Amino acid sequence: MSHHHNTKPRVISRREMLGLSAGGFGSLALMSLFGTIPLGCKRPGSLESASNLYLGPHYLPKAKNVIFLYMDGGVSQVDSFDPKPRLAKENGEDPRKKFKVDATQFDNVGKILKSPWDFKQYGECGMPVSDLFPHIATCVDDIALIRSMVSNFPEHTNANYFLHTGSGLQGRPSMGAWMNYGLGSENKNIPGYVVLDGGLVPPGGLDNFKNGFLPASYQASVFKAGPEPVANINPREGIKSLQEEKLQFIKQLDNSLIGKIGEADAVESAISNYELAYKMQSSIPELTEFKEETEATKKLYGMDSDDPNLRGYASQCILARRLIERGVRFVELTCPNVGPGVDRWDQHSNLKKGHEKNAHAVDQPIAGLLKDLKSRGLLEETLVVWTGEFGRTPFAQGSDGRDHNPSAFSMWMAGAGVKGGTIFGKTDEYGYRVIENEVTVHDLHATIMHLLGIDHKQLTFRFGGRDMRLTDVHGNVVKDILT
Amino acid sequence: MGFIFLMNGGILDNPPDVVLFFGRFHPVVVHLPIGFLIMAILAQLATRWPKFKPLELYLPLMWLMGAFSALLAVIFGYFLSLSGGYDEDTLFWHQWGGITVMLLSFGCYFINKKSSDSLTIPKWISVVIVGLLLMFTGHMGGNLTHGSTYLLEYAPNPIRNIAGLPSKVEPRKKVTVLDSADVFLDLVLPMMQTKCVSCHNEGKNKGGLLLTSYGNMILGGESENTIIPGDALKSELVRRITLPTEHDDFMPSEGKLPLTDPEVLMIKWWIKIGAPSDGFVTELDTEKAVSSLVSNYLGLDKNNLFNKKVPPPNRSIVDSLIRHGFVINPLMKDNYFLEANFSLSEYDLEASDLDVLLELKEQLVWLNLGNSDLKDANLEKIGLLQNLVKLDLRGNEITDNGIKHLSKLENLESLNLYGTKVSKGIVDLVPKLTRLKKIYLWQSEVSKETITQLEEQNPGLTVIFERD
Repeated sequence: MSHHHNTKPRVISRREMLGLSAGGFGSLALMSLFGTIPLGCKRPGSLESASNLYLGPHYLPKAKNVIFLYMDGGVSQVDSFDPKPRLAKENGEDPRKKFKVDATQFDNVGKILKSPWDFKQYGECGMPVSDLFPHIATCVDDIALIRSMVSNFPEHTNANYFLHTGSGLQGRPSMGAWMNYGLGSENKNIPGYVVLDGGLVPPGGLDNFKNGFLPASYQASVFKAGPEPVANINPREGIKSLQEEKLQFIKQLDNSLIGKIGEADAVESAISNYELAYKMQSSIPELTEFKEETEATKKLYGMDSDDPNLRGYASQCILARRLIERGVRFVELTCPNVGPGVDRWDQHSNLKKGHEKNAHAVDQPIAGLLKDLKSRGLLEETLVVWTGEFGRTPFAQGSDGRDHNPSAFSMWMAGAGVKGGTIFGKTDEYGYRVIENEVTVHDLHATIMHLLGIDHKQLTFRFGGRDMRLTDVHGNVVKDILT
Repeated sequence: MGFIFLMNGGILDNPPDVVLFFGRFHPVVVHLPIGFLIMAILAQLATRWPKFKPLELYLPLMWLMGAFSALLAVIFGYFLSLSGGYDEDTLFWHQWGGITVMLLSFGCYFINKKSSDSLTIPKWISVVIVGLLLMFTGHMGGNLTHGSTYLLEYAPNPIRNIAGLPSKVEPRKKVTVLDSADVFLDLVLPMMQTKCVSCHNEGKNKGGLLLTSYGNMILGGESENTIIPGDALKSELVRRITLPTEHDDFMPSEGKLPLTDPEVLMIKWWIKIGAPSDGFVTELDTEKAVSSLVSNYLGLDKNNLFNKKVPPPNRSIVDSLIRHGFVINPLMKDNYFLEANFSLSEYDLEASDLDVLLELKEQLVWLNLGNSDLKDANLEKIGLLQNLVKLDLRGNEITDNGIKHLSKLENLESLNLYGTKVSKGIVDLVPKLTRLKKIYLWQSEVSKETITQLEEQNPGLTVIFERD
């Protein structure tokens, strides 16, 4: 089956080999169908692609791009967007006497723990937001809040894979990869799926951002914070022509390899990656130096803050905007490392300090991003998604933490096609379980795809004898939050 | 007899839990006498045929079982009635119906036991009365538990009408054209139903106000000026929904979803024109004050442009545009509408490119010419792209002289003029773009006054002109 991946030249030609190994034929034909759409291609044969089942939206999209604000570790819903006055009333009482308590990760169930933060109503819609997010609170009229999210996994790694790839197991394509596979990229100089590394790689690692069984060119490019966001972005060759000749030679070698062994995703992706990397050497420095950004803009995001984590996240947010301005399809922002002593949003202890540090770092930049996108007209075609991988328990872990809770969490979306000021779904009086309009991670994926004009049931890729989907055999579009 | 005394005396105002505990078993126990007594009645009737004559032997037993279980049901039923909250009239008839059934059942037992011929007539009268009373009492019991409309809720209309119930309410059909929109049924009532009736309904009429029908709305609540036809500002309803949200009197209260700005505008308008009970919006709105709002509220302003099929674009035209730096994307699978984007191009935009673009005027619905060094003169061609729904012109040095060419873009829903040099001219342009929903004017030369004017003249339009 896989001899065509062997890089050694063979005596038999590609066609002969195809003839000999009938089993290999199908997969090779598929490779040529999918694997040859190079990353960042302007899709010159757009009309051809229109007739290609696998490229372009199925129906008129609302959103062209997605900015995915991933809140690594799981923000506590009852401390952010889902106020529960009952927790204050029964603070310190035994939760097991009030409701059935599921097994938690650390099996250290403490007392019912009221939120250390007050909630106030904001905007015309009157959406309640806790004092953790005073800046995001000013944008609630553009936000559709879902309070009834559930996950299938109570532990970070699986829950992360689930949120990013629609499967709790490692190895499936990430949603950013699916969206680029479905829609292509508009900019030939920048990859279509970019992860802006804020300092924390989510549990589960880079497999959250991979292409899985999709062609390798759809995997995420991770941009690091700092002066060199992409490794080797400055050419090592002093003379430009030297580099060009070297790349030309490598391409020649690769092409001759393809001539000998037949089309292979790995080699073709390598060729397109070289080409893209070369283009990025000129496009990235322009992108990551914020020369044209005014002081007012930088201030809006919080670049003038004393908190280095806030400044870092602010520059990620500005960069995210600049990326989608340049036609990048899917940008994910990971969280800053606000430690020491604070591990992402994952406050198993010391909830107050940990959540406050995390919230302080991301609140103003996110609000700045929403406002900046809106004033430029970009929010109309950009979907901003804010979510963790699960929620937290309404009772304490130990005395002052909260454990993982996959049975209820809050997330929000803003921008293209989303009905601002909406609150969807309901949890019980403790915020522990969903009691109304449950939304699964599959539903979330289906909804994001729907906004991009993709029917999640129709975007498929044949692998292992099956037409695979991001949503597997699940997923319903959450219509109530759409315009 | 002491039991009867208790019943009449009604001294158990504060019944102990144990009484209510047994009371709750009334619905369980009550089905025993119903079963026994129906069996007894049927058996009694059957004995008129010789074949079933032997059943006579068991009749006293059947009646006795019925009578004793009825007694139990009556006691438990009385206990249950002490918990209160039942409709008094219905309860009265149910209670005394049940007691009568119980007493007559004992009567039937004694008559059958004696089996004297002289009692034949009273026997049959009792049997028939028990049968009828059983049905009546049972029905009253059902009404107490489920409400009086429960039984016939899904009955065919003729049956409902015989029972004195109105015909079932057909859900109102969704309005498809603005001309058929009714001011009350399609505007005011749905707003009340989604935002207000959860508190102002027959069961829970807060402040004595019912908002479930026109009559009730006009009748008003405790404050007598709920709606003053012709004077929106004096109407309490308008005052309550327009207060600052944190005000104690603000409605809807308790953090429930408030009415949106367009909803408030429509309510105000409705009261101002005299709060009519019906009438077509288009006929009432002679000044065209709310027609566009209504059309938006009812979702009627969806562009029907997308319903028509457009021919496939000319391949060589598309290739030529791509060669000149355009990104051309298909926007759907089952039609040939296209998006063109020049904002990412490394090339300079040439005037001739726009001529080529015109060849795609049927297919082109989204156009992004942001930061493309566009000049006023170029807009003349853009203005001919009649199917444009979204037009992005941000970051170009274009002025009022240029945008006046855009006045024929009747499908345009979104216009981005952020970072351009447009100013007052926008006030003349916008009313001509009848479908326009959003306009971006941040960092343009449009003054605050012009923005205010624009917002006042175009109530359905979202104007985005600042960042904070």
